[in-house]
Order: sequence, then C-alpha cells, then structure tokens
Amino acid sequence: MAERDSASARERILEAACDLIAAEGIDDVRIARVAMRAGASTALVHHYFSTREELLEQAILHSFETVGEERFAEAGGEAPNATAALAEAIEECLPRPGALERDWVLWVELWLRAAREPDLRPLAASLYAQYHDWLEEVLKRGVDAGEFAAPDDLRALTDRTMALLDGLGLRALLHDPTMDIDAARAQVADFLAPQLGIDPAALLAEPA
Amino acid sequence: MTPRPSIDHIRRPQILAAAAEVIAERGVAGTRIADVAERCGVSPPALLYWFDSKEHLLAEALTADDDRFYEELEERLDEAATPGERMVALIETATESADDFALWMELWTWALRDAGLRAARERFDARWRAAIEAIVVDGVAAGEFSAADPPQAALAIAALIDGLSAQAALGDPEVSNPRVRETVLAGAERFLDAELPTRAGGRASP
Repeated sequence: MAERDSASARERILEAACDLIAAEGIDDVRIARVAMRAGASTALVHHYFSTREELLEQAILHSFETVGEERFAEAGGEAPNATAALAEAIEECLPRPGALERDWVLWVELWLRAAREPDLRPLAASLYAQYHDWLEEVLKRGVDAGEFAAPDDLRALTDRTMALLDGLGLRALLHDPTMDIDAARAQVADFLAPQLGIDPAALLAEPA
Repeated sequence: MTPRPSIDHIRRPQILAAAAEVIAERGVAGTRIADVAERCGVSPPALLYWFDSKEHLLAEALTADDDRFYEELEERLDEAATPGERMVALIETATESADDFALWMELWTWALRDAGLRAARERFDARWRAAIEAIVVDGVAAGEFSAADPPQAALAIAALIDGLSAQAALGDPEVSNPRVRETVLAGAERFLDAELPTRAGGRASP
C-alpha cells in the first residue's frame, strides 16, 4: 500500500467496521471480517488499531464525526430559511433507510455500551453534546432571524426535541408496527411548530 | 442439587435475577448460559431445560423486571387522586431508576436482529403505552387534559422518557435523573395540553 493511500485505507477499515457493526452487532464484529470487507490484510488493520476494542471505538467515533462534519454541517447550510433548515435537521435525525439507518444502529450500540461501560460515557456524552449544540444552533438561527418565536428556554426545548427524536426514531428503527419514520417526523413537527410560532406543515415540506 | 421442573416456581425468580445481573454486566453477547447457571447455583442443563437460549432468558428477565415495575406503578397510582396526579406519579416512577437501563438497551439492540426479541419489545411497548394512554383518556374525560389524540400523546410521552433515559445513561445517572423527570413533566404538559399538578407537591427526589 502506497504511503499516500494510508489515510483512505484507515478510513476504509473504519467504514467496513461501521457496516459490520450495523449489520451484525458490535459484539460479533471480528478483525478478520473487517479486513476482508475493507480489502485490507489483518496486519494492516492491526497497524492502525492495536486492539479490537480500539477499532470498534474508533469506528463509532468515525461514524459520528462523519455525521457531525458532513451531514450536520450540511443540514440547513444551504436551506433558504431557518424553517427549511429545521425541517432538514429533523429529517437528518431520523433513521431513514440507508446511511441514516446505519448511523442509528451505531448510535444504539453506543448507548448500550455506554450504559454498560462507564469508560465509554465521556465519549458518548461528548457526541451527545455536539448533537445538542448543532440542533440548538439550528433553532437559534431561526429565533435570531425573527422567523421563530423565542422559546422560554431554548436549551430545554432542544433537550426535549432530541429526546423525542431519539425515542420515536428508535421505534421507527425497530419497525414498530404502530408508527413509522413519517409518523415520527409529523409528531416532532406537531411538538415543535407551536412552540416556535410556525405552521407544522412547514416542517414537513420536502426539502427543495 | 437436582433441580426439577416441579420447583420451577421457586427457582425461576432466582434464575431471572441472576440472568438480569449477568446480562447487565456483560451483555447478551458476552454472557454464557453457564455464567448464569453458576450465579444462581443451578446446573447448566437444568437452566437450559427452562430457558432454551440467552435471548429467551433476556426476554423473561425483562418480563420479570417489567412486572415488578407495574406492581410498583399500580401502588403509586392508587395513591393518586386525579388523572393529573396519576400522570405525575407515572412519570416519577418511570424516571426514578436507571439501574435496569442496560438490560432494556440490550433488548433494543438485539431486537434489531432477533425476531423473538423484536416481538417481545413490541409487547412491552404496547403495555407501557396503554398504561399511559389510560391516564390520558381519564384526564380528557375529566376535563383535566385537552390532548386531541390520546394514543399519540401516550406515544410521545413514552418516546420522551426513552430518549431522556438514554441521555441520562450517557452521563451520571445520579445527577441526571431529576433533570430527566423535570424534562418529561414539561414535555408531557405540552402533549397533554394541560398543566400537571405542582411538582413541588410531589414526592421528594429519590
């Protein structure tokens, strides 16, 4: 492997690990299978990650860095206004099949591991704080622009919105027979819109 | 020791308590039937006679945990006079302890891949949402709540509790539990379109 490819090799390994965690669960992921999927040797995997635990932790981190840098940054960045940005943000927080669903499975795996292993809580808490800041910023932009009515406590509203998104998203992810992702989205819109003084339908409009 | 099916009713709670402990510590994947057998002093074959898999043990351990929760909940609800007070009691009971959260997280992650556990999760969730909905319906009938769609309000309250419990589990549960309760209460007021009885009049913090 050429030197200049090293960054992409590491990334390929992390992507492969994320795919396998999402497909099979974190406890069943083996280094050899990650290597095979990434088209790398096990020796190369060990070159970047000294232990299986390190690989798995880095894979989860990688997943959330990708979410933070690409998806979260995108959400609303090019939206025509704060309402459209919020609609996009809500959509990005729910487990649509595809990349979002994969990220969700990783997120649930991280919850589980953090609940069991206190050592992982700082990592999980910091990812959660990033998620919170991002969503709060989306809301704040709308308030600052005069597009949203200012809620009493933006921080608390963000907490409740995230909790609702997580609780509903989890059920959608598990294919709850009584609700799906669109129902989750409508529920979140009905919750948020009156508190921001906007029409819930505006949060359900398809992004342009 | 020669465990027999006839003492199932005695052994069963011990086995399920041991399973809950071991699974919470090591996760379903890291748990062996033999570990649970050792913890409760039953032979592995006897354990396998009653519970044919780890997934089955997890589902039964959660059922036992759930039944205990509803017993406590019923007692707390009996003490509450109005639907508003019952809703506050329900939210307080549900947000008081994060001890068993790891076990419920196991259910959520394994339900992604195991049809039996997925069905179990749906049963637990249906029971929980029905319990919430019953109070919402009473509150609407009594004119205390104005929720237009009680099943949706129950779903939203259940979702809020799960989402916040996950947030709490990521931090220090001792610090976050009162915040979880306050946040759920505030959210519930919005879903119910009602003011809940003053929280100051409620129970002292656990």
